Amino acid sequence: MSSSNQTTIVPKPNLKWRVVDIAVASVIGVVSTFIYWAAALLYGPIGSPLDALIPGLGGLMNGFWLFAGPLAAVIVRKPGAATYAEVVAGVLEALLGNSWGGMETFLIALVQGLCAEVVFLCVAYKVWNLITVTLSGVVSAIGCWAYTFFTHLQGFNMMGAYGIWYLVATIISGGLVAGVLMWYLYIAIAKTGAIDKFASGRQVRASSK
Amino acid sequence: MGERMQGEQSKVADNRNGKGSPRQYASDVSVAEGEVVLRDARPSDSDASPKVPPAAIRFEHWGYRHASRRHFAVRGLNLGIHPGEHVLLLGASGIGKSTILEGASGLLGGDPVEAANEAGQGGADEVVAVEDSEGGVTEGGVFVDDIPAVAAHGRVGLVLQDPDAQTIFERLGDNVAFGPENMGVARSEIWKRVKQSLAAVGLEGLQLHRSTMHLSGGQMQRLALAGALAMQPGALLLDEPTANLDPEGVAQVIDAVSDVLQETEATMLLVEHRAGPWIDLIDRVIVLGLESDDQVKARVTQVGDDAEIDHSGFRRTIVVADGTPDEVFENRDLDFAALGIWMPDKYRRPDDEIHRIHTNDEPTSDPATGDGKALLSAKDLAIGRNGKAIAEHINISFAAEQITALVGRNGVGKSTLSLTLAGLLQPVAGSVEASPELAKGTSGNSPMEWKSTELAARISYVFQNPEHQFARGSVLEEVMLGPLRTGIPEDEAKKKAMALLRRFRLSQYASVNPYTLSGGEKRRLTVAASLAAAPRVIILDEPTFGQDRRTWMQIVSLIHSLRGDGVSVIVVTHDRDLVTALGARVVELQAQGDAEGVRSMHAANGTRITEKVSKDDAVSSGTANLKAIDTTITVSPVNERDEKERQSSRSSFLASLNPTFRMLGGFIAALPLILSLDWVSASVALLLEFILLACIGLKPWRVVKSTWPVFIGAPGSALAVLLYGKEGGRVWWHWAMITVTDRSAVLALATGIRILAVGIPAIIAVLGVETTDLADSFSQILHLPDRFVYGGLAGMRLFSVIRDDWAALTASRRSRGLGDENKVKAFFPQTFALLVLSIRRSTTLATAMEARGFGGDIPRAHARVSRVNPRDWAFFIVCAIVPTVSLIIAALAGTFTFFGG
Repeated sequence: MSSSNQTTIVPKPNLKWRVVDIAVASVIGVVSTFIYWAAALLYGPIGSPLDALIPGLGGLMNGFWLFAGPLAAVIVRKPGAATYAEVVAGVLEALLGNSWGGMETFLIALVQGLCAEVVFLCVAYKVWNLITVTLSGVVSAIGCWAYTFFTHLQGFNMMGAYGIWYLVATIISGGLVAGVLMWYLYIAIAKTGAIDKFASGRQVRASSK
Repeated sequence: MGERMQGEQSKVADNRNGKGSPRQYASDVSVAEGEVVLRDARPSDSDASPKVPPAAIRFEHWGYRHASRRHFAVRGLNLGIHPGEHVLLLGASGIGKSTILEGASGLLGGDPVEAANEAGQGGADEVVAVEDSEGGVTEGGVFVDDIPAVAAHGRVGLVLQDPDAQTIFERLGDNVAFGPENMGVARSEIWKRVKQSLAAVGLEGLQLHRSTMHLSGGQMQRLALAGALAMQPGALLLDEPTANLDPEGVAQVIDAVSDVLQETEATMLLVEHRAGPWIDLIDRVIVLGLESDDQVKARVTQVGDDAEIDHSGFRRTIVVADGTPDEVFENRDLDFAALGIWMPDKYRRPDDEIHRIHTNDEPTSDPATGDGKALLSAKDLAIGRNGKAIAEHINISFAAEQITALVGRNGVGKSTLSLTLAGLLQPVAGSVEASPELAKGTSGNSPMEWKSTELAARISYVFQNPEHQFARGSVLEEVMLGPLRTGIPEDEAKKKAMALLRRFRLSQYASVNPYTLSGGEKRRLTVAASLAAAPRVIILDEPTFGQDRRTWMQIVSLIHSLRGDGVSVIVVTHDRDLVTALGARVVELQAQGDAEGVRSMHAANGTRITEKVSKDDAVSSGTANLKAIDTTITVSPVNERDEKERQSSRSSFLASLNPTFRMLGGFIAALPLILSLDWVSASVALLLEFILLACIGLKPWRVVKSTWPVFIGAPGSALAVLLYGKEGGRVWWHWAMITVTDRSAVLALATGIRILAVGIPAIIAVLGVETTDLADSFSQILHLPDRFVYGGLAGMRLFSVIRDDWAALTASRRSRGLGDENKVKAFFPQTFALLVLSIRRSTTLATAMEARGFGGDIPRAHARVSRVNPRDWAFFIVCAIVPTVSLIIAALAGTFTFFGG
């Protein structure tokens, strides 16, 4: 961060939310809802019957519903970013009406968002790398699984074959889609210059120059 | 997106103001509940607020460097604007005019994190550089009335170029109220200001709850102006406020500003490339230039052809000329063309006029007619989106070497027509036919039926927003995409791409990420990339929006040179000069019953176009190949495509409830059911729900229709439980992991019914809740922080914009030869493009919100009241009774099973 004729001190991370932080975290939530809808549309007609026939397959789609949190967190880097983005997405989906029943999406979003948040909280919002983001996706996936079994899928043995398969599928999906993929997505977004107003974006831009 | 989603979305988005609405506009304004039409706002009202003193603006050695940029956008600027002056700020693209306005609005450097004392370049003056949390660096200071701009809340009002980017809320009135709310103005005063501001910009006839989605561009910009005025600023800063508008919109906005300036005597600072129509309002013109190290004298011309000014060795921003319009524009020492400035008509000298241009290798044919051989024809074509025709019986042909300009008002349907011609939108009736020459090698003569790669090599569409089009990570790959997709070997594609990059003067950026180019460069890149696939028809949507004269000239020459490639060019445009320079044929789209308006708009265009039109008529009657050219295409009037008011629920009872209570009611009716997984409690609850919903006016069939997704979800889950659920009792069937037993069957039945019983109230309760009402309720009833609530609300408004972006991305990918890809494979790159676009939109939105004082330290006021009535509590109690009764009955029947046992 220095031009030819001056030096400026790079600021310390600032954990206070700016308007642009809120706007970008919100829009990540909104786009996620949209993408989830689009993905569900692709998956829809063939997917639902397969869910029943191949145990846990449905879990592989869950990552699409978890990625708002880790992505918002890694870009915005403010406490609560993951929770906030997931909740925005959840509220919007609830207002649109969906197959999991309106306001319930709000609750599951809250659970998933908090789970994604936990990982970053544990490292005091200081460590941002592939590992923390992937872990965030994984923990969020566990939250998603637990919530689903607690509410809709009580008819299963949580630790039975179906439950375990569902957990494994959800974790894989969360780790890959909401974790690994989000890390590289963040890098690619940063390279476009769209997040230059964020320390996360400037870091990537500076290192790729 | 499915139909349903659109339907539900519009329910979320659209407005209504039903009787007994939980949201009420303050009644001490002349706004009656249930009817929020603003009545005659008399300027002579006794409640007219006292005049706000005009503001002075002063830049002291001010400079700003944006995050991740190597050079300062503005540096060392010394400039003073006196109270009440109306200033026009001029200078080439990239000189930092927008940065200057943002600085004066207090939007830059507001959140300092570090300061560093350092010696300035000259050594003599000590410069303090401050880095802010956005990564930008500020030097010196900018003051409004001797107060630092960042602290001068509400003293300046900023209006930006893009109308979409400044609309924060769905409802018209809320956008105007937003600024005063952020400044903590008392509620009754807010609505008074809303009324006055809307009247000042000539929007007093519109309902406050009207959706901004259904405003024209000119109305949107006037709304943005009203939003700024409601803050009662002492200075108006206008950043190219008319660049995106049609001629009528331009006139509306200028009239509104003119009225406002007379009324308020506010200071005005205007940035506008095309200052002509504004000139009578202006009393001072300032022309900016750069002073550089290597060349101590002012460098006012650009180096090279780059759209962005060369900032290397840049030392400070200087004032090149400063005076009355007469003094500046009559100064013959200034090279206005080189500065990218459009001379106002009043001062135009013969060499400032735009003439028909000529380019190298130009064919001998007239651009208005081309070579006479039609490449593409519309035959009795009807166009429209979603199968609803907005114009019918269109017969028109496009010939090689011909340039056609599609003109008409914003929103009249020009894009619908051009997308249909481009094979990107299904005709509603009739056909778009490719000539045998154009169709050679494809499956037929209808472009819509072609494969995406076939289309890319024949008809190309250049979108208005270049970012709708980018599909690759570097400029070179972007241009190579077309040739590669159409089967040209890699090294040949690369050679071809490099040649195009040289022709379009982009070769130095070959390895750069396309998104990081400047506006003019991005546009050149999209044209180069389209051309690379060697199409015979190129359609450009508004190619000259918001360009300075220099960049404009480059783009126009470029478009004109396409004739040399034997291409038929179609431009969608408002730009009269463009039509003149290209010598294009003009095709007008005009709304029925709107002939007068469109005619008068083109009357100003001078004889040139009139001649052209009559010439076209001659061609149509004289040339067999180009039969029946319509120079005017009539479309259904814009107003007929207007909104219907919507209730926030089909049940007027639900619509009258507070959104927070609707939400909580939905929860409490559903969640306790989770305690027991048994068919009795689920069935009883479901039955009660249907009965209660019928009591509040929702018939069972209507309920099923509104909640159909759960009816798909429930059997799926039930089936899974049947096959893999908890086992017990008789085994019906066993295969691999599947075990169907007595118990799993019972649990499956219970699961299916319970998903319905839980889902239906949870969906119905919130379906159609208006987001603004929900946000008000979250803020006032649940006391959640306003920053997050209204930030999230503004983000949600972008949903409809995002949906349009997705449609545009899908179309652009087809146009670029990517449409045949496996859907799953295509999904991820398109998603990426959508995210980048959306993030950009949200950062602009944040700027617009901050310009209205959002996010400051002042406690916000609330223009709308979120009320809780006894009926809200009654609703809540009834909702709680449903699961209670159901669970008690299940316990009595002995079927209660805690968490499914």
